Amino acid sequence: MKADGFDVIIVGAGLGGGIAAGVLAEAGRRVLLLERGSALGYRDIPGDHLRHHRLTAYGDNTTRDAVGHPRVFVDPSGATRTVLPRDADYHHNAFTVGGGARVWGMQAWRFHPDDFRMASRYGTPAGSSLADWPLAYADLAPFYERAEDEIGVAGDHAATRYAPRDRAYPLPPVPLSPTGAWLARGAAALGWDHFAPPLAVNTVPRHGRSACVQCRQCIGFACPTDARNGSHNTLLPRALATDRCTLVTRAHVARVLTDASGRAAGVEYFAPTAPGSAQLSRHTARARTIILAGGAIETARLLLLSASPRHPRGLGNHSDHVGRHLQGHYYPVVSGLLPPGVENPNLGPGVCLATTRFNHGNPGVIGGAMLANDFVKLPIIFWREHLPPDVPRWGLANKRAMRDLYLRGIDLRGPVQEIPSPDSRVTLDPVVLDRFGLPVARLSGTTHPETVRTAEFIRARAEDWLRAAGAERVWSSPLSLRLSAAQHQAGTARLAADPRDGVTDPWGRVHGHDNLWITDGSLHVTNGGFNPALTIMALAFRAAEKIARSG
Amino acid sequence: MSLASPQLVTLRALLERLIPADDFPGALAAGTDHFIVALLAGDAADEATGIALGLEQLDAEAVARHGTERTFASLAIGQQDALLLALERGEPATPWPMPPTAAAFLNRMVTLTAEGFYADPANGGNRDAASWRMVGYDPRLPPDPSAP
Repeated sequence: MKADGFDVIIVGAGLGGGIAAGVLAEAGRRVLLLERGSALGYRDIPGDHLRHHRLTAYGDNTTRDAVGHPRVFVDPSGATRTVLPRDADYHHNAFTVGGGARVWGMQAWRFHPDDFRMASRYGTPAGSSLADWPLAYADLAPFYERAEDEIGVAGDHAATRYAPRDRAYPLPPVPLSPTGAWLARGAAALGWDHFAPPLAVNTVPRHGRSACVQCRQCIGFACPTDARNGSHNTLLPRALATDRCTLVTRAHVARVLTDASGRAAGVEYFAPTAPGSAQLSRHTARARTIILAGGAIETARLLLLSASPRHPRGLGNHSDHVGRHLQGHYYPVVSGLLPPGVENPNLGPGVCLATTRFNHGNPGVIGGAMLANDFVKLPIIFWREHLPPDVPRWGLANKRAMRDLYLRGIDLRGPVQEIPSPDSRVTLDPVVLDRFGLPVARLSGTTHPETVRTAEFIRARAEDWLRAAGAERVWSSPLSLRLSAAQHQAGTARLAADPRDGVTDPWGRVHGHDNLWITDGSLHVTNGGFNPALTIMALAFRAAEKIARSG
Repeated sequence: MSLASPQLVTLRALLERLIPADDFPGALAAGTDHFIVALLAGDAADEATGIALGLEQLDAEAVARHGTERTFASLAIGQQDALLLALERGEPATPWPMPPTAAAFLNRMVTLTAEGFYADPANGGNRDAASWRMVGYDPRLPPDPSAP
């Protein structure tokens, strides 16, 4: 393949990388887009209820090369294990063209204005690395709107008052199910705001693709009508249509090359020797601009792997922030039973009612979370996680509970904003190597304990909501301190105006490396009390626009 | 490795108790034994030895509780359930020589059985979508998906 003549190299074809590719290719740049996974069609992503991205005990439906790419996980007691993607401690996100958005739940929330100023609003607890973002909500608002328009978000702009859009969303909101209406009555009784959550789904046909048919095999699987929106069916096809974007799949980037001045010169990567070849060999590509978008774990690993005599601790690691502040979300889950008479058609996507009443201003705790109902549930997920705790685990009583309660199950959950800790981190493992002989990511530490207090507060509010709605029973489990990353992984190359406080400048450019950028969740100083994908997208649009304008 | 014939007999008897037949087929009629055998030869191969030993130990438990010549499969239903409840409480009648412990073994078998029975029929343990018809689930995938 032609390895030179590119203006931009992008590492990772998920939401952040796909968006950067689209913006820059349409702006006339020649883009090399390197993706470690494969381009998978609907039929390539099996509808296997035991191997998908919400249940990975035996594998998942997008990973094609788990063996040879372990990670090392260090639990809070210090015990160390080598883990593969099927293990929850791997903190996996889908490795494929399109990234996690091939199988995501599509919640496309803007962060709350106060999510960008957490330290100013709450102070920084001892031992935490809670900080303000070096930009404000208003800086990101136009790019949120652009992401909503270009990716395709369905929502109710008039009701989404915490982060108002001037114009309607490009797609009408997801329909309110009878169970959603039942929850709405509960929220109204409590005096809580409630509205249809923004989802990146075609609720009506758009841009030549079909509408959602409300199937019951949604989150964790590929969409049968291509109604689930991401970069894979919007910005990436636009990039490829320019003929200026070259997508190379099964391409594993080994290091970012830097020159004597510290500028990024190119990348070394392993990719098929020839297109379609099983054999992988080492390649080098050079470009004027390098963008990393491999997710918060692998982007941090790549910065560390790219150490050089001039940057012995890794690129951007001048102040020892690379890999630190790793965070995701804590999810309190509260289950209950619908009272008799409440119809549950059990249709996808399932999420149709949310409240932002508890994102901020909660007495005695820091931050909070959006709360919403959950996605349509597979029977095996219901069996594993949502039977009442006093139901025996086997025998006729268990079988009858499944028969009688499956369609009566209801649960609420919310992504609790984490209070980051510098000790929750990605480092290079000193022992375990990947198939190319490179040190793998080692995950260690936990989030800050304040996170648990907030999560417990949110869990209690979710219980209030189900009770107010009239659930027949309500139950949940307490949360405990742990490392959290997984699909919402963030924070490992955080934005900071001052190079001493983070890795990247307020635009996402690595401090000290003028032409090295990041467009994934690594940038997030904090991860909001919301699903983080739309913020990743908005930052990617903003960075790509800046690069496009810089000549 | 694959399970030996006596272990398969024990496995089938166990499945009859974990998800019994009633108005709807139980795990055995739905083919969940085939699912488990295939899984232990595939994605759960690392568990096969421990599970084979656990199934043998179920017969040892039957002997210890009800006398020689007995096997788990030959016990009355009430005796089988009482034995399994004792294991679940962590009260085996015999020394379990290895991990998994008696309770962990039972817990693992419960999960494997439910996974086979409630997963998609293509996994082999939910023949004719018996469990899905019982709970009222149908994936409702379009017959002619338009996604590329």
